[in-house]
Amino acid sequence: MNYDFTDKEFTLFVEIHKLMSEFANDKNLESNNTEKSNQNTRQALALLSKTPYLNLCIEKISDYNGLLTLMGAMEVIAGISPSLFLSIETSARIFGRIVSAWGSDAQKEKILPDLLSGQTIGAVGLSEDSMNVDNDPLATTGTAHGDQVLISGHKQFVVNGPVADWIAVAGRMDGKNAIFLIEKGTEGLSIGKKTATLGYEGVAISEVRLANCAIDASQVIFPENDKTTLSTLRLWENQVLIGASLGLMKKAFETAKNYAKSHKTGGKPIIAYQEVGFKLSEMLTLFQTSQLFAYRTAWSAAAEPKDVETLTLCAKVFCTESAEKVASDAMKILGGSGYVTGNPVEEAFRCAKYGQIAGTSTEISRVKIGDTALGMNK
Amino acid sequence: MDFAFTKEQLMFKKEIIRFAKKEIVPRIQEHDLKKQFDFESFRKLGEFGILGLHFPEEYGGSGADVITTVMAGEALGEAGVDGGLTLAYGAHTFLCADTIFMHATEAQRKKYIPKLASGEWIGCMGLTEPNAGSDVASMTTTAEKKGDKYVLNGSKIFITNGPIADVAVVYAKTDPAQKHTGISAFIVEKGTPGFASGPNLIKMGVSTSQTSELFFNNCEIPAENLLGNEGEGFNMSLQTVEWDRSALLAPFVGASTYMLNRCVEYANSREQFGRKIGQFQAIKQKLANIRIFGEAARNLVYRIAWCKNQGRPMNHLEASVAKLFVGDWSLNPSNDAVVLFGGYGYCHEYDMERIFRDSRLAPIGGGTSDIQKMIISKLI
Repeated sequence: MNYDFTDKEFTLFVEIHKLMSEFANDKNLESNNTEKSNQNTRQALALLSKTPYLNLCIEKISDYNGLLTLMGAMEVIAGISPSLFLSIETSARIFGRIVSAWGSDAQKEKILPDLLSGQTIGAVGLSEDSMNVDNDPLATTGTAHGDQVLISGHKQFVVNGPVADWIAVAGRMDGKNAIFLIEKGTEGLSIGKKTATLGYEGVAISEVRLANCAIDASQVIFPENDKTTLSTLRLWENQVLIGASLGLMKKAFETAKNYAKSHKTGGKPIIAYQEVGFKLSEMLTLFQTSQLFAYRTAWSAAAEPKDVETLTLCAKVFCTESAEKVASDAMKILGGSGYVTGNPVEEAFRCAKYGQIAGTSTEISRVKIGDTALGMNK
Repeated sequence: MDFAFTKEQLMFKKEIIRFAKKEIVPRIQEHDLKKQFDFESFRKLGEFGILGLHFPEEYGGSGADVITTVMAGEALGEAGVDGGLTLAYGAHTFLCADTIFMHATEAQRKKYIPKLASGEWIGCMGLTEPNAGSDVASMTTTAEKKGDKYVLNGSKIFITNGPIADVAVVYAKTDPAQKHTGISAFIVEKGTPGFASGPNLIKMGVSTSQTSELFFNNCEIPAENLLGNEGEGFNMSLQTVEWDRSALLAPFVGASTYMLNRCVEYANSREQFGRKIGQFQAIKQKLANIRIFGEAARNLVYRIAWCKNQGRPMNHLEASVAKLFVGDWSLNPSNDAVVLFGGYGYCHEYDMERIFRDSRLAPIGGGTSDIQKMIISKLI
């Protein structure tokens, strides 16, 4: 047992914190502008490619502990800019893991070098109107047509959709789950406009339509374990959302704490009043409990993989709900200034809701956790 | 980071669960209803080695590390052992015996620890007073040095094991003019003239533990019964906090696993509207909430244990976070469990109402949740 990160891990956290803080310093990373999202994501990916960050969980790196190190690092970046974090992670981690874990050698050779050097942005098309708790088969389909595959379907809420160079679209082909790697500009691929969202305004999210979109057959991936393809994609997505929640809590808590120490009323800092001090205590309790929950879940991905899916759902429910509570309480501490658009806690409050909806929603997560407890998943 | 338990620890946990289910759990309902202490179970805890687990073998212990010791508490909770017995164990082993072990002379260690480790003697700790709860420094019990004796006067309240203890660690002011630095700790044995305990206080939960007042009326004890030096008592009481935030919280974590297992059994057997109630999403939500609480709480409790095992000074903020979380966030899962069982959940036979009552101690005992918030808000 060991509850400490290693010195190497701490050094990485400090390095990426410095890098991303300086990058974020003179930019509005949360602006609702597709071109800015595109520029910011590309610049940030290029900067991060100088560190081992983008390679975590894509390839084994000595001195680092896979997802556990990544969880600590994700917290750092999400605490600086939630939008930038979501764009980076969708590209590097979710799209990246699809290629690195399931792709052929040729696919890896073609895509990974540019992805890991920050020159390519990836997106993942998974959600469809018909998706439900039972993971019914996807409606997006691929049909063989000579050396090509024709894809038809509709994906919603595709993070990085409008700015991506490659989109990994999940669908069905030959009675199996398949991932179609589609390059930007491919005929039949239609990217919707950036969707206006409650939070994560700096992320370009859109729908993606595929109408007989033709790709080379070599751009199709059939993941090894067909039965777990969708749940694995959700697992990766959930891990990113857990990391995002830690960052949101960190930002909201630190902002509220600093405000409570500096803002005076009745001749003393408001932290001296129990109503404020106690609220901060509850926020910190949720934050620290979430951190440990997230780290242990990340650790279990390698050490105790048997239970990792359910444990990740448990952590996802706890961390994402805690993030909303912490952000909400932070806003109360800041009073009127916390309600002003652009304030970090107002931004965190809006973003926090996404964590409960995206990936496996907290309601469906609880059903699945219950199913596991009841032995219904065997 | 590494959250793994060793194979030996996991095997030992299984052994404790097996032992407790066979030797202790069958008698809980009867004792809880009668609000009686289960001496036989306590003795069996001693025989199994749990009461003195972390003490060196030469004092009748097993020399276990902190993590294994905390795990024993979780195992008892997971087996279904009631909060009354685990509280009695906690007060006995950590608040009384460990304080003696840490601060007594070698002769005193040899005199008390083997008897406490075996369960032959029962220990308690007297700190709280009617008008000095979280505000320890305002205690009024005094210990006046007279020759080679100390004379104790005053009273203590809410003392777990008070009515049944053979030996007590008692905190009293040797310098009433001082606040924390005026507090000293003493060993007081049952039967000492001037020392008496009150009747068992009837409580909402943890009913098998016996709780009472302690009275000191010109109670003379030998001067060598002073633990450490005069004025060191407050720091000694703080040293027990690490155990309080790990070993004494661990049974609540274990109890959440027990609740989950019992709720699953019930949900898989109870039928309504033509199907098992476990098939309803509302039931699954409750099961999920219980599991989520247990998983979240476990990490906090073992973080304190791991740090103590490393010999690190206690992190008061982390300790209070653990106490606050287990205290306040354990209430909803225990409520969910009662509701899941419906009418049966309200009846004693089905355990859930007992756990519901027992869990109410978590935000009160050992420093209320509000006190934890005071500590945290000062430290941040």
